[in-house]
Amino acid sequence: MAKNEQKNNTGKLTFEQAIKELTDIVGKIEQGQIPLQDSLKQYERGMALIKHCRGILQKAEQRIEKISEPEGKSQKTTDSH
Amino acid sequence: MRGTFALIIDAQMKNRTRIYTVSQVNSLIKGILENNLPSRLTITGEISDWKHHTSGHCYFLLKDEDAQLPCVMWKSNFNKVKFEPENGLAVLAKGFIDVYEPQGKYQFYVEKIVPAGVGALQLAFEQMVKKLQEEGIFDDAHKKPLPAYPQRIGILTSESGAAVEDIKDSIWNRWPCVRLFLYPVPVQGEGAAEKIAAALRDVNKRNRELKLDILIVGRGGGSMEDLWAFNEEILARAIFDSKIPVISAVGHEIDTTIADLVADARASTPTKAGVTAVPDIQEVLEQLARLQERAESKVKLLVHNAEQLSDELWIRLTGSVKQVLAKSRIRLYAIDEQIRKIEPHRLLGKKTVDLNNLKNQTNTAIQKIINKCEMQLIAQKNLLEGLNPKSVLQRGYSITTNKKTGLLIRNLKDVQITDYIITELAQENLIESKVTKKQNRNK
Repeated sequence: MAKNEQKNNTGKLTFEQAIKELTDIVGKIEQGQIPLQDSLKQYERGMALIKHCRGILQKAEQRIEKISEPEGKSQKTTDSH
Repeated sequence: MRGTFALIIDAQMKNRTRIYTVSQVNSLIKGILENNLPSRLTITGEISDWKHHTSGHCYFLLKDEDAQLPCVMWKSNFNKVKFEPENGLAVLAKGFIDVYEPQGKYQFYVEKIVPAGVGALQLAFEQMVKKLQEEGIFDDAHKKPLPAYPQRIGILTSESGAAVEDIKDSIWNRWPCVRLFLYPVPVQGEGAAEKIAAALRDVNKRNRELKLDILIVGRGGGSMEDLWAFNEEILARAIFDSKIPVISAVGHEIDTTIADLVADARASTPTKAGVTAVPDIQEVLEQLARLQERAESKVKLLVHNAEQLSDELWIRLTGSVKQVLAKSRIRLYAIDEQIRKIEPHRLLGKKTVDLNNLKNQTNTAIQKIINKCEMQLIAQKNLLEGLNPKSVLQRGYSITTNKKTGLLIRNLKDVQITDYIITELAQENLIESKVTKKQNRNK
């Protein structure tokens, strides 16, 4: 179930995973080895991946975050316990 | 010096023969050296018989073509030396001469030592390169590939330096969608290398949570001394051990540090970090557009082909159906003609007359049967009514019963004198009478 969800859900893919899958899909469609209906399905998936990639590219928080020093972190952990 | 010595001899002569202990002599000599030599000397020579004792102190000789001088360098002084002194190395050593009284020898106590000719740091750098190179730490085989589309980058540099801004701008100008994380570390001075190395190890340990794709370690330009932290072994080892790919971005274009050599990729300056670390978003957008176009054009072609095929099939299908229809129509006409020849309406008229006659005949026959049945039914009914005893009463007969027993009286034995008898007539009429006499008519 979880596996299926992950497979169908483009939202969880990293940019790298998405663009790799997209490149594979375009290759498959171009080779024409798959039936038309599958091609259309793959095409839909490809378009979803492109949308996902563009979504990632549009994100730009442009705010530099600071990594806390390990002392601060370990203190926090001790506090919570 | 010669004068001083003469004075001592002179004094001895005056006090007849004075006896000195060994310690006294050494002490005297020590005093003479202290009083007659500059408090600090810089001596040029070549290192020989170098010994780095486990105590941390160093013992060696400085020599030239004709002479040699025993030297000592205490641990505390040696720890400040950046390069690795070695036999045959020409150096300038600064220190003082003193007598080592337990062995009765004078020696040179070295406080500072620098290579003659090249600078100490340069030499130290060259020595470190050679050492790590022999270990294979710079080999390409150890270089980790950088992710093509990083989404989280860690920057290890000084919070206050210009480098953090340069790195940030150079990355976001090309790839604005990446998240940047600054791990503030000192980038020069005592302990800087240790702190950067510790930060590298800390980030690696916490990367399950931090999820950084790349680390950038760097600082802006400066003197070789300013950049020195990036030449230290402890940092080189931490970079080598990092599981996260490391990009070095140190100093100016001309500077090369050990960190540059060991890192997985090198940016010549902090402002070039972006080009090394991230792709150009415009190129990636174009790549996406090209992929989309390739998929679209192929799918369009596939759909057009399918449409054309289905059009062709439709034409063939409708063509064959039309033929079948035409044939059927001809056959239908032929059958129609045959039917017309038979003139079915006339046949039908005659049949209708026949049918009406038949219907009338049937009705008459059935009526006859019904009548007959009715008559039989009445006869049966009459017969049944005749059998009912009460219907006999209508004709003047009566039924007599003994009132006491309630039984029918059929002969004289059924009744006694003085018994009451009941006579039933038609219409439920009853007569009650008393028996006064019993008699047979024939007697």
